[in-house]
Amino acid sequence: MSKVVEISPTTRHEGHSKLVLKVNDAGIIETGNWCSITPVRGVERLAVGKSMEQVPKIASRVCGICPIAHTLAGIESMEASIKCEIPRDAHLLRVILQCANRLHSHALHNILTLPDMYLPGTDMKINPFSPEEPVRSVAKRLQRIREIGQTIGEIAGGEAIHPSNPRVGGMYKACSPRAKTKMYDLAKEGLVLAHAQMEFMIAILRNYQKRDWAEVGGAKIAIPKDLGYHSQGYLATDPVYGSSSLDECPTWDYSRFKESRPWDWYMGEMEVSLEDPKYPVGGTTKMGTKVNPQMEACTGVPCYDGAPVEVGPRARMVKFKNFDEKGTIGQQVARQMEYPDCLTAMISAIDEYNPAAKVVADYIPQGDGSMGWAANEAPRGTDVHLAKVKDGRVQWYSMLVPTTWNFATCSAALTGAPWQLAEVVVRGYDPCVSCATHMIVIDEDNRIVAQKLIQ
Amino acid sequence: MGLLSSVFKKNVSEEPPKPVAAPQKTDVAKKAETTTKEVKPVVDKITLGYTHLSGCTGCTVALADNYGGLLTLLDKYVDLKYMPTLADVRHIQQVDVAIVEGSVCIQDKLAVEEIKETRAKAAVVVALGGCAAYGNITRFARGGQQNQPQHESYLPIGDLIKVDVLIPGCAPTPEMIRNVAVMAYLLLKGTKEQKDLATAYLKPLMTMAAGCNAACACDIMTSVINQGLCMGCGSCAAACPVRAITMEFGKPNLNRDLCIKCGACVAQCPRGFFNTDVISEYEAINEAIMAALQ
Amino acid sequence: MGAELGKYKSCVSARSTDKEILKGAQDGGIVTSLFAYALEAGIIDGAIVAGKGDLPWKPEPVVATTRAELLAARGTRYNISPNMSLIKEVTRSYGLDKVGIVGTPCQMQAVRKAQLYPFGLREVGDKIALAVGIFCMENFPYQSVLQLVEDHAAMKMESVKKMEIGKGKFWVFGERGQVVQLPLKVTHKYEQPGCHVCLDYVANMADISTGSVGSPDGWSTIFVRSKIGDSVWAKAMAAGCFETKPMETVKPGLELVTKLANEKISKNRKTLEERASFGTGKGLRNPYL
Ligand SMILES: Cc1cc2nc3c(=O)[nH]c(=O)nc-3n(C[C@H](O)[C@H](O)[C@H](O)COP(=O)(O)OP(=O)(O)OC[C@H]3O[C@@H](n4cnc5c(N)ncnc54)[C@H](O)[C@@H]3O)c2cc1C
Ligand code: SF4
Ligand code: SF4
Ligand code: SF4
Ligand code: SF4
Repeated sequence: MSKVVEISPTTRHEGHSKLVLKVNDAGIIETGNWCSITPVRGVERLAVGKSMEQVPKIASRVCGICPIAHTLAGIESMEASIKCEIPRDAHLLRVILQCANRLHSHALHNILTLPDMYLPGTDMKINPFSPEEPVRSVAKRLQRIREIGQTIGEIAGGEAIHPSNPRVGGMYKACSPRAKTKMYDLAKEGLVLAHAQMEFMIAILRNYQKRDWAEVGGAKIAIPKDLGYHSQGYLATDPVYGSSSLDECPTWDYSRFKESRPWDWYMGEMEVSLEDPKYPVGGTTKMGTKVNPQMEACTGVPCYDGAPVEVGPRARMVKFKNFDEKGTIGQQVARQMEYPDCLTAMISAIDEYNPAAKVVADYIPQGDGSMGWAANEAPRGTDVHLAKVKDGRVQWYSMLVPTTWNFATCSAALTGAPWQLAEVVVRGYDPCVSCATHMIVIDEDNRIVAQKLIQ
Repeated sequence: MGLLSSVFKKNVSEEPPKPVAAPQKTDVAKKAETTTKEVKPVVDKITLGYTHLSGCTGCTVALADNYGGLLTLLDKYVDLKYMPTLADVRHIQQVDVAIVEGSVCIQDKLAVEEIKETRAKAAVVVALGGCAAYGNITRFARGGQQNQPQHESYLPIGDLIKVDVLIPGCAPTPEMIRNVAVMAYLLLKGTKEQKDLATAYLKPLMTMAAGCNAACACDIMTSVINQGLCMGCGSCAAACPVRAITMEFGKPNLNRDLCIKCGACVAQCPRGFFNTDVISEYEAINEAIMAALQ
Repeated sequence: MGAELGKYKSCVSARSTDKEILKGAQDGGIVTSLFAYALEAGIIDGAIVAGKGDLPWKPEPVVATTRAELLAARGTRYNISPNMSLIKEVTRSYGLDKVGIVGTPCQMQAVRKAQLYPFGLREVGDKIALAVGIFCMENFPYQSVLQLVEDHAAMKMESVKKMEIGKGKFWVFGERGQVVQLPLKVTHKYEQPGCHVCLDYVANMADISTGSVGSPDGWSTIFVRSKIGDSVWAKAMAAGCFETKPMETVKPGLELVTKLANEKISKNRKTLEERASFGTGKGLRNPYL
């Protein structure tokens, strides 16, 4: 007889989400629903009627961990709609920003997942805030890596969190030669730290892989070798940056994408029938509580060629580097492998950047209502924004954010795992839930737009 | 000047700044037995909670962006009791200081419960960032979006509960979060003099909390220029996180179509508030805060 | 009493020893010499100064990172240069880590507020390496200066060589040697209204503040106020940047500075009081409460 257990809210990621799990007598997940329960701020709806300059500023505030992805995807979707090409050096500044953001975000994710991992050779889980060595040195290194990322972001982007420098048509300000040198020096320092951090993390992850059990709420839970495996496909548009409908050969195809509502996807009303007061921290939801993922979920289910796909570091590695490791640990290893890439890509962009060049387009069209999209490879995966701009005003706006793509894929990856390790699987995706509270609306727009793109 | 002069005399002196001297971990047990009650409180940490409502986690990132300072804060002054992103705790607990990020969606039962519970279980509630303080971009929300089209109305937390301290900005700065954390520590665990200093520092943030729950570029017009107070320094333009303010002929020009309603401009404006007593001691206070984070 | 001059560690009368700087400086060339020295000594990477704007005598905040750029910004422009507007950008796209800034007392207040309450100024406060304040009785909107020069002094803005407020008069010096002096009661109506609630004359919150008042023509009065100011001043003196005279030995001396500071502060305190009951049962806002 299967039972229902609910973990709500899940912790150590961004935003509010919960897990509703149907498990068998051995506690193994048969069906897992991972859903966002963050209120829907409705950025796509509130964007309608606003100026094309303001909407990306608002879109940036969808997420404070990858605000750069949302700013850039937002702005570039506007540029794609109005058909505005930006100067080369503005694009280079955006690439620098992009890499800076990925660096800080991956480092933050290390802090959030380390507590699930064990210090090699011990049965001790890692508290990243512990003043004890070797953990303290790692925490300091992580914070320094984050500082480097945020500082470079601040120089190229104006602000460390929500960047103010990018604008429709390019960037407000060019970086001075001094700023260029400063970014270069920081990136060089970062590269050394990133290599060290990658090696440390991979060792920690491999150690977890070798373990037979993990301790959860006082019980030893067997770690399956296929923890977090799924059979879904992967989607990525670029190893570093992204693509847009302005590109000669766009790497994302609007016509292959479709989104369904949670109604068609998640489980309906159920009652919690399994409860574990010892589950950290504060226990699982009380027996008898009614749950209804169908109604409660705050996101939709995007599909590519009719099925959910995984986006993010592993998807990029699979698509562009022939990476082939599956499961939660494989996914995390891929993320660590992106560390040095962030910095080498950044360093080449800094090298190419010319401080004397212009960074704003001479002419910024105001738009005729055509559809434009831009996909940005956010730390957690492909972030697609779609927009129609007419006379400088946004007529229609939509965002397909990384975690929304991943909700369904991750739910599939939960099957076969002991329910006590569900959060470990979820955290492997580096979920960023508050950005996922949106929903694209498929109506006649879909047809019109898709037709246009095919023509 | 009266209130603070005694405090500041101490701070300005050449001795290492006593006010926030780090508690010596190793001595805690010994000290507790042998010393008087007055010493003991300084050894305690304050307990801190972090409630995340409809915000973007940028405020959380700002907190984390104290980098090494965050580790020091957690080592010495602050015991993090709950925080959805950084701590492994699911539910709101009794704390000295609760920081709230994000506004409240009044159509979301859980959010409304959480903000009330946060208030009930905290001695001091801090509205962190434009969203919690003023609504910020959630002011523009008007519902109608899947999968919860009824999520339409978002309120700054001060519309639903009493807020003690306000930190505007989007994102708020790591330095402001750090300053408020250190001051909250002094307020709750410090000596009489330290309490006075903390009270004086926090007072404008408390006044803001007791005041209006809305912010906009327009505040620069309505409470500074229209009041005949603007002297053209340009702080507002520098502070704005979306470059909505430019200076034209020495006065702010507001591009209201860009403004996200975060409140940084008017809070940064020296004619927004200027507590001379405290700001003129900038050297001593900054040194004390930096020493605290050593 | 005594509070009107703020806290300071030392006070002298001084003049730059750099002839080139002195040539175009307003008074003793203190501001430009300090920044030029600090730049050379690596104390600052650059400074926010009031550069040339798009109209004659209209200042525009600029980031000067060379001696030439500093020199181009010498002299006083009696209208608003919002120098604080660059305080964040200078640490971003300009890439400066050690920033100098010059400004009126209110701008120095803005600097300190930015350091103590950085609501929208992340990672700016600790990069402010030298804040030089200039004394200030009042400032003007651009249009005011235009009207004073073109209407009252009957001179074209373009042909003005220097403007100065001193000895109770507003002086306009022309390129061809004309000198017009306007009594200050003429200038009062043109003042920036925000100046009427200002309670600082000698830039109490600067690291070093300077102005002409108190010292003989071509010399400046200097207050060294903070630890930073103390150290920079000592180094600049050791490098021979300035010649000085003890304040007690110069005329009109500190007495006049004190007198003017007192006049400004008490006049503006009165304004603040009047504002409190400006309407009927309602007043105007007081930023200091
Ligand atoms: C509005 C105003 C009112 C003043 N009132 C008095 C007064 O009542 N009594 C008194 O003794 N002195 C006053 N001063 C100061 C005085 O005019 C000189 O600026 C000061 O003595 C410095 O001279 P210096 O030769 O050392 O500087 P210089 O080497 O000539 O350099 C002057 C510096 O000031 C900057 N500057 C010029 N105009 C402005 C501006 N509008 N805002 C900000 N920075 C500017 C320049 O960029 C330059 O860096 C006033 C200055 C201003 C701007
Ligand atoms: S104030 Fe800004 S950074 Fe903070 S939650 Fe709101 S949008 Fe995010
Ligand atoms: S910060 Fe205040 S005083 Fe300064 S320019 Fe802006 S509104 Fe005017
Ligand atoms: S003008 Fe800028 S700083 Fe002021 S409230 Fe609007 S967004 Fe915030
Ligand atoms: S009088 Fe005061 S407010 Fe006016 S410019 Fe001078 S210092 Fe600023």
